[in-house]
Amino acid sequence: MTAIPILPASESASRRTVRHVLAVIMRDPLSFASTAIIVLFIFMAIFSYQIAPYPEEGAGKTHASNTLLPPSADHWFGTDKLGRDIVSRIIMGARPALIIPIGVVLFAVLIGAPLGALAGYKGGWLDEVIMRITDLFLAFPSLLLAMAIASALGRGLDKAAIALIISWWPWYTRIARGVTISLKERYFVEAAQAIGVSDLVIIFRHILPNTISPILVQATVDLGTVILAMGGLAFLGLGTQPPSPDWGLMVSDGRTYILDQWWIATFPGLAIFIVVLAFNLIGDTLRDIFDPRQYK
Amino acid sequence: MQKLEFFLRRLGTSLFVLIGVSVITFFLARVVPANPAALYIGPKARAEDIERVTKLLGLDKPLPIQYAIYMQELFRGDMGTSISTKRPITEELAGRIPATLELLFSGMFIATIIGVPLGVLSARWQGKPIDVGVRVLSIIGVSMPAFFLGLIFQIVFFRNLDILPLAGRVDSDLRFSNPLTEITNFILIDSLLTLNWVTLKDAFLHLVLPSLTLAAYPIGLIARMTRATMLEVFEQDYIRTARAYGIRQYVVIYLYALKNAISPTLTVIGLTFAFALTGTFFVEILFNWPGLGLFTVRSLLNLDYPAIMGMTLFGASGYVLINLVVDLLQAWIDPRVSLN
Amino acid sequence: MKRNLFILSLFVLLTLIATACGPAAPATDAPAAETEAPVVTEEPAPTEAPAAGPIVLKYASAANITTWDPIASFSTEAAYMANMYEQLLRVNPPGSAEEFTPLLAESWEKSEDGLVWTFHLRDGVKFHDGEPMNADAVKKSIDAAKDHAGASFIWLPLASVDVVDDLTVTFTLSYAQPLELIVGSEYAAYIVSPKALDAAAADENYWSAGLSAGTGPYMIESYTADQELVLTQNTEYWGGWEEGQYEKVLVTFVPEATTRQQLLEGGEVDLVTSVPADSFASFAENPDYTTSLEPALFNYTAFFNTLKAPLDDVKVRQALSYAIPYEDIIALGANGRGTQSRGTVPAGVFPYSEDVPQYTYDIEKAKTLLKEAGHEGGGFSLRLTYASENATEETFAPLIKDSFAQIGVEVTIEALEFTQQWELAKTDPATAQDIFLLLYWPTYSDAGADNMYSMFYGGAEAPYLNVTKFNLSYWKNDQYNALMDEAGPLSGTDVEASRAKYTEAQKLLVEEAPAAFLFDTMVAFVNPNHVEGFQYNLNYPDVRYWFYELRPVQ
Repeated sequence: MTAIPILPASESASRRTVRHVLAVIMRDPLSFASTAIIVLFIFMAIFSYQIAPYPEEGAGKTHASNTLLPPSADHWFGTDKLGRDIVSRIIMGARPALIIPIGVVLFAVLIGAPLGALAGYKGGWLDEVIMRITDLFLAFPSLLLAMAIASALGRGLDKAAIALIISWWPWYTRIARGVTISLKERYFVEAAQAIGVSDLVIIFRHILPNTISPILVQATVDLGTVILAMGGLAFLGLGTQPPSPDWGLMVSDGRTYILDQWWIATFPGLAIFIVVLAFNLIGDTLRDIFDPRQYK
Repeated sequence: MQKLEFFLRRLGTSLFVLIGVSVITFFLARVVPANPAALYIGPKARAEDIERVTKLLGLDKPLPIQYAIYMQELFRGDMGTSISTKRPITEELAGRIPATLELLFSGMFIATIIGVPLGVLSARWQGKPIDVGVRVLSIIGVSMPAFFLGLIFQIVFFRNLDILPLAGRVDSDLRFSNPLTEITNFILIDSLLTLNWVTLKDAFLHLVLPSLTLAAYPIGLIARMTRATMLEVFEQDYIRTARAYGIRQYVVIYLYALKNAISPTLTVIGLTFAFALTGTFFVEILFNWPGLGLFTVRSLLNLDYPAIMGMTLFGASGYVLINLVVDLLQAWIDPRVSLN
Repeated sequence: MKRNLFILSLFVLLTLIATACGPAAPATDAPAAETEAPVVTEEPAPTEAPAAGPIVLKYASAANITTWDPIASFSTEAAYMANMYEQLLRVNPPGSAEEFTPLLAESWEKSEDGLVWTFHLRDGVKFHDGEPMNADAVKKSIDAAKDHAGASFIWLPLASVDVVDDLTVTFTLSYAQPLELIVGSEYAAYIVSPKALDAAAADENYWSAGLSAGTGPYMIESYTADQELVLTQNTEYWGGWEEGQYEKVLVTFVPEATTRQQLLEGGEVDLVTSVPADSFASFAENPDYTTSLEPALFNYTAFFNTLKAPLDDVKVRQALSYAIPYEDIIALGANGRGTQSRGTVPAGVFPYSEDVPQYTYDIEKAKTLLKEAGHEGGGFSLRLTYASENATEETFAPLIKDSFAQIGVEVTIEALEFTQQWELAKTDPATAQDIFLLLYWPTYSDAGADNMYSMFYGGAEAPYLNVTKFNLSYWKNDQYNALMDEAGPLSGTDVEASRAKYTEAQKLLVEEAPAAFLFDTMVAFVNPNHVEGFQYNLNYPDVRYWFYELRPVQ
């Protein structure tokens, strides 16, 4: 039953979307530059140990005799209170500040999208229950909910990540449900139902792949926000715990020194800003073209 | 009639959501990984003291019963006692609301008066450099972490230029030289009502940096949304007709188009309020602004569970209420949009 | 709904007005101030000199109020409490001519065996609410403190308080103790109006609005949580008032050290609790300020979990004690404000002794000891917990980690909210932390009865937590316990003999190393020269300033 010719082959549908998205990005110089920046930062995060000039200091090793040095040839961005090289701290901090938020969005999509597709496809009481639950979660300002969860779970990067996933998944449920409802009436779904394809197969093979485009766009748009939220949690002390490196945490640490040692907070703050800016520029271009919000 | 039904249904959903929110909040606050009684009494307490406080706080009862008691008290206007300040949560919140609202409203005000015109300009010159400029500016606004932007403002306007105060709501000096009669607890309003110009000026100066920091994010959102709705409106027939009739273009834009763009823009402003609410957390910490945000963050870090509960509940209720108001307003202004 | 819109537009309108008329004012005003600034010949501070208003002391404080209940109070609010409430006597700083200053008691004596103490009260003293201060009030306050104070445990030795006559009261102890130190405690020893105590017993929120019912020189005029506190003179104060003393004290709560620094430099406040550590030096060079570093009775301890291998081996514990970079910890963690501890008793507090030895930082020795213990090259890992709200611990914990790495011992650092950290430690030593960082201070000025007992006296059964549950090394040493049992009661009758016993016990403590004794802290004062009368009293660590003693310089 997988070979029904009238059903669009799912793989090619999603691949087409991805190709389309990429094409859009390549056409827009700002988006292209942004993509380059993000790729650079991701590369930095993956190979942080190889790239960082002082990888051990980046990871938290102290250097008592180098405390609070201003930017210089040896330490481009200076050193912090414990004498650690800030360039290295920023490079090593890319993982919690950038990679973890990407994971958060991914998990939120993996939880949210199937639920939304299920709700939209099945309708009735199941739809009602799922959507009322998402309503509940969406009733909180996302960051406030995330903060409350993070503090209830106890401090830490992993807990902050879980808190953000819990606060973010309902958005994708909504989008997936909207798309599903609009697809449900289409001929291929009806045809599949008519020949007795099971619901699960319809949802996973035929509906979810079609939700990819709006969700991908929304996820890109959200990434900037999630990175900001993650940085915010770390800044408040609810995310990464010292001595591990994290941009938000570094800004918070540097706050004590802003009047004299401005470099401690400034550079990690700039790192967050640049990455978020890059994601938002791409997201903005994508949104202009796809507008996922029409499904909400 | 249809309108009334819509209102009632919308109110009903909000009520349901609020009850659900209270359940989530309650259980969330109770899984806090520390013994609240021990927190309440402090580190050097004896076991029997902890037991006494456990009873006092009702923590010896099963969770559902604790929840029932909490809700019962809540309806009587009692949210319990803060663990760290030992004062009623309602008092703690009430005392801080004016400070936060003052910040929130001035931030949103700045965001609106800057954001809407930017959006209109951008739409008017769609695709032109000005549009690109506004776009980049808006995106910069939404990409800037508030906790970083505020810091930069402090470095520039306080440390380097020394033209704006670093933190706080008003200079403590003024308390004696120009004492303020508290009427509403909004310093701007009170000083205006009592014609206390010195305090008004000082409070205003203190408000500039925090409001600007808070406004950065909403400015971007509002500008983008205004642009989008304006563009949609431009496409509609009557605008085209108006243009064809030769009504001068700025009249078209400002009168017809803007009027029709008000409803969606209002929605955005309403929703942005909620974003700004969480923004106040960072702004209040940076600027030592004695509002809800400062209190919330301290409670979160101290695991002050009654305070966390009160604040989360309050925040969520505010959010639900704003959404409700926005929906109702929208239905009122433009019945076609939301009745279905 | 229309109303909401109305309110909304009202706010918008008001803000609009404010925005419209605001910017003009500063623009004309600010440059004037700017141009005047460079002429630094005159002190900018006392701007409101024109006499009409009250003489106000402005204080930017980091100290929070956790309660206004003088009985429950066991935290930073002592900074203000001590200016509103009084004990029977005050313990003077070490080196003073007199050991004590009589406050509500004019004189006192003890029985030969040190068990019965008689206090003769000051006549004619009234509480802020007009009630007379007498023997009944003392009994009621102390009974309340023993029953439910935040620091009620300080009254453990107390059997009863008895009223002899209106102005005489006796304290009977169940074992001899230096009672002066207890009645002079910073916490749980204030004498409070009986009327207020009754009211508070009936209404648990009685104190929350912010009121005072003591005998001290100042009372609360108004209090806005997290914003400000205004204290005003208690005109009836028994000590009397002179011309030139501060009539009001305006406390603004400023948690950020950087902000406090700015307020102080700008002359907007007269006093601050503290400034950022690295700005201290620039204040020291400024002729307008007087700075000083004073020993405080806080110290940092790293408890080793002695019930768990390999820390159950004394050699390993000694090795680790040698591997702690004490100097770096003080330099970076405390900005140089500290001295390496001698045992658990902080410098300046009974029964401190210079005879107690210290570990040096000696990596080679640490390696040798590890080798002797059968752990050549380390090879084990330890879990260290600290209180996440403590920025000092956050700063120096990595230094310990890096230093232990040099002897092959891997440390994982875990930040927990203090209560969580403590809960973890109390549940089951087998799964608890290996190293527990703790900031501790004696509740009243007797570190023998507190630190040495609370933190190291082994209880009866494993894990040997005693009543205070601060024995977080789970350590029990019979010889140590025996020495403590002798030294404690002796302190009520023969202080020097007691000190000798305590010192012996501390030597044993350092030798056995159930914990590493990191450093005693110091407090930094930055005082502007236009205020005089500062008195630092180590025995009251939370009370940085006694407002009654301060005077503006004319």
